[in-house]
Amino acid sequence: MSLQLVRLLQLASPALPVGAYTYSQGLEWAVESGVIRDEASAGRWVADLLEHGIGGYEAPLVAALIAAWQADDHAEVARLDADFLASRESAELRAETAQMGFSMRRLLRDLRDDSLAPVLAVTDAQPEVAFPTVWAGIAARWQIDPDAALCAYLWSWAENQVMAALKAVPLGQAAGQRLLARLGRRIVEVAAAARQRPEARWSNFTPAFAIACARHETQYSRLFRS
Amino acid sequence: MNSRLPSVSPAPAWHAALHLAFARTGERTVLRDNRHHGPLRVQKALYPEGEGVCQAIVLHPPSGIAGGDHLLISATVGAGAHAQLTTPGAGKWYRSGGPEASQRLELTVEEGAALEWLPQETIVFDGARARMETRVRLAADSRFIGWDILCLGRAAAGERFEHGRFDLLCRVERGGAPIWLERGGFDGADPMLASPAGWAGHGVGGTLLCAFPDLPRQAAGLLEALRAIAPGDGASHGITALPGVLVARYLGDNSEAARLWFARLWQTLRPACCGRPAVPPRIWNT
Repeated sequence: MSLQLVRLLQLASPALPVGAYTYSQGLEWAVESGVIRDEASAGRWVADLLEHGIGGYEAPLVAALIAAWQADDHAEVARLDADFLASRESAELRAETAQMGFSMRRLLRDLRDDSLAPVLAVTDAQPEVAFPTVWAGIAARWQIDPDAALCAYLWSWAENQVMAALKAVPLGQAAGQRLLARLGRRIVEVAAAARQRPEARWSNFTPAFAIACARHETQYSRLFRS
Repeated sequence: MNSRLPSVSPAPAWHAALHLAFARTGERTVLRDNRHHGPLRVQKALYPEGEGVCQAIVLHPPSGIAGGDHLLISATVGAGAHAQLTTPGAGKWYRSGGPEASQRLELTVEEGAALEWLPQETIVFDGARARMETRVRLAADSRFIGWDILCLGRAAAGERFEHGRFDLLCRVERGGAPIWLERGGFDGADPMLASPAGWAGHGVGGTLLCAFPDLPRQAAGLLEALRAIAPGDGASHGITALPGVLVARYLGDNSEAARLWFARLWQTLRPACCGRPAVPPRIWNT
């Protein structure tokens, strides 16, 4: 066992104080509009987004960010960060990553870990920073294996989506664990594919998801901020 | 349908380019530069709403894009000028026997200038191998409204996009910094097309973008007005205002309903974005 594993568990934990649990990323609208109504349809929505949504754009971007942080290529970090912010499909999705990025930057300071100083210096210079940018910086500085980091990043996302489904559908805890077990089986492959995917093939082109996120902005009764 | 089938007789591939530059002289927007090679052109500058706005209709005489064809359209709108680009008919991407076809759109809008990109829909035939790239470069205070409506397969013929490849890139920058980035690609019959989070089994998707400096202050009022307008066919749709760009999306099965919806949104957006009343281009009625 290594310190890296423990560091990764900390980074991927829902206890990370960034408020991820307050966001559903359009899932709450998918429930409202009847696209998600039970365990099976919730599983399909999250699995499809794992494959075609986050797996197509955010995951390869996180891999590229980790590589850029490892190489101290701060211009590349800034480029990927700006592209990620511009790639967010709705106002709420963009606000989500900016808020979580802000909280991660605060956490960077609060950790009082000298090894993270370069990440703090670079991200502090930007008016806004996206969540995956800071997350990838910490993963790189803590020398976490990039494959493991990407799997953990996707796992955190999947766990958060399933927890949102549990509240919004609602579903029971057992259903949630079944969904996570199924999603978990796909994560290793999605992460490996993401690391191989050249930037020319990155894809955030999932219009029904984008529409769900936009519609959520005017949803009458809601628990989540996205 | 006159789809060219390279397996029968390989047609020569077109490498066509059109370069347009608009400039403001006095109160008038002039088409200062209009160069082309290959079958892509603008016949003349039109002034349907007075001299301030120059309208250009982009013609592609072969009427469709076959495998191996590469089209480049570049337009620069100089400081203070206002240009409106439209197309006379649907863009068609024919089935390819193998090679990729591409269309690149490079739009530059300089200080205080405005550009409207209001084309008819794009139909991607089953078996096409198409790449569409759109790059928009805005200055700090320039304005842009543009849309694209994509039909996967000839819906009227009951065709779906089951073979081939489609790749898309749309990037909008203001002052060199990205404010909008959408990219992606899929093969025919990609599971994403059937996914409830992807194309949800639909064949027509459209995106309208609108960017102008005062957007953040006007966003709330505009959103309220725009959200009161729905596509006539009841299709899935959504509108959101990002910090630098307002985005409306259509996802359904009727390209005409998508275009009419965008045209109605444009009527509300144009006065806010360009400071001019919305005068629907006559070519939309034909």
